[in-house]
Amino acid sequence: MSLCRYLPTPSDRMGILWTLLCVEGSVILEYGPAGTTHYSMGLFGELGIEQQNRLFSTHMSEDDVVMGDVSRLERALLEVDEGYAPKVIFVVASSVSAVIGTDLRGVCAYMQDKVKARLIAFEQGGFRGDYSVGIREAYRLLAEQVVEPSAEKQRGVYNILGASAWNYRALSDVNEIRRLMKEAFDMECGACLCLETDAEAIRTCGGAEINLVLRDEALPAARAMSASCGTAFAEGAPYGYKGTLAWLEKVGQAIGRRVHPKLMAQLRKRSMEAAQYRMYGMMLKKHRPAVTVMADYPVVRGLAGFMEEIGFPVANQVSMHSLRAVENPAEDVRYLPVEKERIELLRGLSHQLVMADDVAARLIGDDNTYLRVSMPLVDGAQIATHMPLCGPRGADMILESVERYLQTLK
Amino acid sequence: MDGYKILEQMKRLRNVERIKEVAPLTAAMFPGTHCPLMGAAMAVRGIRDSMMIIIGTDECAYYTKHMTLHSEDYGGLMGRVVSVTLDGNDVTFGCAQKVEAAFAELMAEYAPKAVFLVTTCVVEIIGDNFDAVADGLSERYGIPVLAVHTEHFKCENHMPGIERTITACLSMMEKRPCDGSVNLLGQRMGNFEETELSRVLKEAGVRIGVQLPCGCTVADIENAAAARVNIVVNDIALPLARKMKAKFGIPYIFFDKFADPERILACYRGLFEALELAWPESLSALYQQAKSAQAEARAALKGVTYIYGNTPMRCFEFNRFMAELGMEPQIIQTSSIAPEDRQDIEAILAVSDPYVTKTANIAPLQYVYDVLHPMLYLGHEYAARLRAKGIAMARTDGAGSLLGFEITLFALRALTMAAREAREIRKEAR
Repeated sequence: MSLCRYLPTPSDRMGILWTLLCVEGSVILEYGPAGTTHYSMGLFGELGIEQQNRLFSTHMSEDDVVMGDVSRLERALLEVDEGYAPKVIFVVASSVSAVIGTDLRGVCAYMQDKVKARLIAFEQGGFRGDYSVGIREAYRLLAEQVVEPSAEKQRGVYNILGASAWNYRALSDVNEIRRLMKEAFDMECGACLCLETDAEAIRTCGGAEINLVLRDEALPAARAMSASCGTAFAEGAPYGYKGTLAWLEKVGQAIGRRVHPKLMAQLRKRSMEAAQYRMYGMMLKKHRPAVTVMADYPVVRGLAGFMEEIGFPVANQVSMHSLRAVENPAEDVRYLPVEKERIELLRGLSHQLVMADDVAARLIGDDNTYLRVSMPLVDGAQIATHMPLCGPRGADMILESVERYLQTLK
Repeated sequence: MDGYKILEQMKRLRNVERIKEVAPLTAAMFPGTHCPLMGAAMAVRGIRDSMMIIIGTDECAYYTKHMTLHSEDYGGLMGRVVSVTLDGNDVTFGCAQKVEAAFAELMAEYAPKAVFLVTTCVVEIIGDNFDAVADGLSERYGIPVLAVHTEHFKCENHMPGIERTITACLSMMEKRPCDGSVNLLGQRMGNFEETELSRVLKEAGVRIGVQLPCGCTVADIENAAAARVNIVVNDIALPLARKMKAKFGIPYIFFDKFADPERILACYRGLFEALELAWPESLSALYQQAKSAQAEARAALKGVTYIYGNTPMRCFEFNRFMAELGMEPQIIQTSSIAPEDRQDIEAILAVSDPYVTKTANIAPLQYVYDVLHPMLYLGHEYAARLRAKGIAMARTDGAGSLLGFEITLFALRALTMAAREAREIRKEAR
């Protein structure tokens, strides 16, 4: 039961790479065969991540593998430091260097005196779990090793922890959160771990009033910053109207500010309007509304919460990654590690609203209604940065799919 | 980064004998070469009713499947590329059993005619014996199951992946009576039907047998030994052609993407002699046309400096062709130096002694441009970035689907256009 027909779940190493590539002013140096680095360009390009002058490979020869020679890595570190003057060089193990046990931390330790950039080693080679585990490690090490504890306090500034380029509509979601935070509290975003951010912003982000922790994988980073910088944090993400209001109130409580009344009124109004969808469940005779959500854990929980807000029962909540990095996962959420189990689940769905990825779209029957809420993206491209899944704008967009779905029910 | 320092570390062509002696521009590379796993996938694309199982990390499997998502040849998401991904437990205890279980699922769902078990770097390190696994699966399921090893730390780029995949096909071939056909071995890109060579063979009444790997079925491969001659259009097919010669007595003609009309003429002569067919007069006309174009282009290309990245043509033969036209190579990037290249290298050295380095490392080249100021760059680069440095890009990818004298004409057109563009860029900059 181990054949993977479609796309495998990305590994911890892949999660680390797409997280760190979003940090401008840093460089990733991969210690491994160059082909993997070149191969990754297609995916990272699709995720909208810049690679030029940020991603390098040392390549590895058979001699390096057999003899454990790291001189190639040492030379590469000196070259990158001198040639590109990055603030940070992330030295990332490949599967090959991980299996042969190259001591990357040791190399970084003795090379640190010879370079100006901060060296941070990631020794995962793709064998310590899936991307959820990888991004947790990336956020944590950024918080522990790049954020300066003595950063000056910045009133009216918050950070986002837990943004991930792998999330469908990630940049739109971040923009929606920025808009909400501005309207609710007149606050500005400092650093965003990790989307369209830079090494300097991360270095100084410890002075922010609060860290908004969008997913559990960023909790260790938030705790580290709480301990080192005293930065408060609030966990959760704004999905649906009621969910967004609750999230804003939670953030407000943590920073001692009140949500702007105008925004509160708007969200309450939209929430009341959305309540009308509850009656559809009672009016329909043959097929009652039912929803399946398959996405990253926080998206699953957020969208499931929104569906409950409008009275649509959620039949299946499936996380696309393992729940190892999720603290106290909800019992309703399952992770199906074997692809065949996911295929069977999807093929068995009938007359449902299926919020999932493009692979699921190929597997479900025609009587279902599909809405893309998760990577991987197979059909088309992601271009817009103003079409979120979260916040009231995301809820509006989702309701359009709900309307489309209702037209298929009798 | 200091371009002068980078150049100081580079060797001249005169001082290298083997590829191991050729240093990369820098130890940190971007984007780096393609890996042989990708090469294997490229080869399997053309063998229409076969499947490929990638045995490796999630990452290797993901990127390969991702590459095939929008290709009808592979069948897209639901298509012919599947995988068995390894975790820490598999690395420690081996993955053969896991692959065998996955293979059973594959056979139940896809019923392929042949399967390539493609192993990646990690499998080669942990040492699972997939040659034996493939043999066992072949016996159990009664279809060809072929192990292809694609560890990148033992080779330079993706080409060995293609080479090993098509060489593995030898075991599928069965002895057949000669039907007078020719096989086309080693074409990676384009449609052979559209090439000059294909037209010439058709006009001479020659039937094309298997086209490996650019378009065939498992049955075509099984019948490949019925051919009278193998035409080898790239080094990657030489091992297979040599083995077919030893096993079935089929001679081969090496007919690479040569640019020099004399070389192309010699290939055609060898081919028609092997086929025992009369020399077509149309070929003499094509030869004369190529020679005339070569003579005409000489004035426009004399003194044009260039850096060679990569093209569909044969690296040193094409550089010799350009050097003998009066062009001046400053750097040649290559991923191999074959014994067959020696004469071409000597001919280049007779007129110049360029730097030589490995391919696929364009990041540090930016600094070298500022020192050498070449007029042309041949290969994949960012055209706008080159233009800003006064360099024109010679676009030669189109030659990927050409064979014969048409390559000479195409190459000369691409070079003269690029040389003209370079002169215009420099005029604008003054």
